[in-house]
Parts: sequence; structure tokens; C-alpha cells
Amino acid sequence: MNPNAAKNLIVRNAFLCAAAIAITSCGTATFSKTGSDARIESLRSFQLAFIDEFAVPGKRFNAAAFEAKVNEGNAKFQQAIAEEKFTARRPVLNDLAAQFKADAAHLRSKASRGKVTPALASEMKKDTNKIYDHALGR
Amino acid sequence: MPSAGKTKRRKSSRKKSELDSALGRVSDESVAASMKEFQDLLAQAKGDTSELVRQNAKELEERLVLLKKRKIDKEDFDFFVENQKRDLRAFIDSQPAQAQERTEKLTLHVLEIAARVAIALI
Repeated sequence: MNPNAAKNLIVRNAFLCAAAIAITSCGTATFSKTGSDARIESLRSFQLAFIDEFAVPGKRFNAAAFEAKVNEGNAKFQQAIAEEKFTARRPVLNDLAAQFKADAAHLRSKASRGKVTPALASEMKKDTNKIYDHALGR
Repeated sequence: MPSAGKTKRRKSSRKKSELDSALGRVSDESVAASMKEFQDLLAQAKGDTSELVRQNAKELEERLVLLKKRKIDKEDFDFFVENQKRDLRAFIDSQPAQAQERTEKLTLHVLEIAARVAIALI
């Protein structure tokens, strides 16, 4: 083979390999980002359902059910943090976990004394949605 | 929809006067200076170019009105103020250095004064 043709072939193959790697890594990043967003949306749904279940004015406070749900929530956040592949997203998930703990502490204090109001429940949900929107960069 | 915009504006100015009149009725001299500073900073925050700063001011104002109407109590109010602070910290850190001081003044500082003002409101 002509040395020039061989050189061109090597250059062409190297270029094709680089392009293939770039395309594959872009695809993986997009896929992981979608998975990461979905995980955050799932945590949002859990947290909103938690508020719906326990921030109910006049509802008798069931401490055992409350603590079980808090433990379930904490485990979900820890799992999400451990599985997160985007290292930049981990502090965001840590903030969301801290917010869940703060919500649980406030709700425990209010619900156990029968001091939940409709405004408290709706403002908590408003805050939750805002915080998750910010976490997702919206 | 122009009519929707008009309704929104009217509602917002009604809320503003509601809070302003409540703040105006506070006779405690020890908080008068804080009150004035709070009203000035809140007005600046509501007119800021950053949506997050405006949103923070609007939420704070709404929650002061809820507190005044006793739909939430001081514990709830303090809890929401802490949430707002936590949410704002990342935003402030992401601002250019020269904008950070102003943003902090119109967000975290306003929230800190609000906690003092809230005591006088209830």
C-alpha cells in the first residue's frame, strides 16, 4: 500500500473512533441526565404525598405511621445520593434530603400538637415544588 | 390575556396595601427602624431584575399576611423563612462577586429583618 494511503487510512480510522466515542458518551450523558431527573421527580412525588398524608388539619397524629414514613423517605434519599452518577447533582440531592428532614421535623412538631392549618399544608407543598424546580434547574 | 394581567396586578397591590397597613399599625418604637428598613428593602426586592429575588419577596409578603391573619403561626413563619434561606444560598453563591452583596441584602437580609418585624405583627 502507498505510504500516503496508509497514513490517510489511519487518520480516518482515528477520526471515526473519536467521533464514535463522542457520540456514545453524549448519549450516555443524556440518558443518565434523564434518569437523574426522573429520580428527583420521584422524590418530589414522595415528599408531596408525605405532606398530603400528614399535614391534615384535625387528623389524629399516628406517631408510628409517621416515623415509618420518615424512615422510608430518608432511605429513599440516601439511595438516590448513592446511585447518582452526576457528582454535581449530589450536593443538590443532599439539600433535598435536608429539606425533607426539616419538613418532617416541623410536621412532627405541629401535627403531634394538633396545630396543622390548611395554610401550613398548602405553603409546605408550594415550597416543596419550588425547591424541586430549582433542583432541576427550572 | 389582558384581563388576567389586570386581575393579577390588582390582587398584588391589594396585598401590598394589606401588609403596609398592618406594618403601619405597629406602634412599637423599638422595631420602627427595622420596619422602615424592611419596607424599603422589600420594595427594592419586588422591583429587582432577578426573578428569584422578586419571587422571594412575594412569598415573604404573602406569608407575613398569612401570619397577620393567623392562618399560620410564628413557628410556621420561621420554618418557611429558613426554607427560603436554604433555597437562596446556592443561588447567591452562583452570582458574580460584584452582585452577591446586593442579592444577599435583598434576600437573606430581608428575611432576617422579617423575623423581627413578624414579632411586632402578631
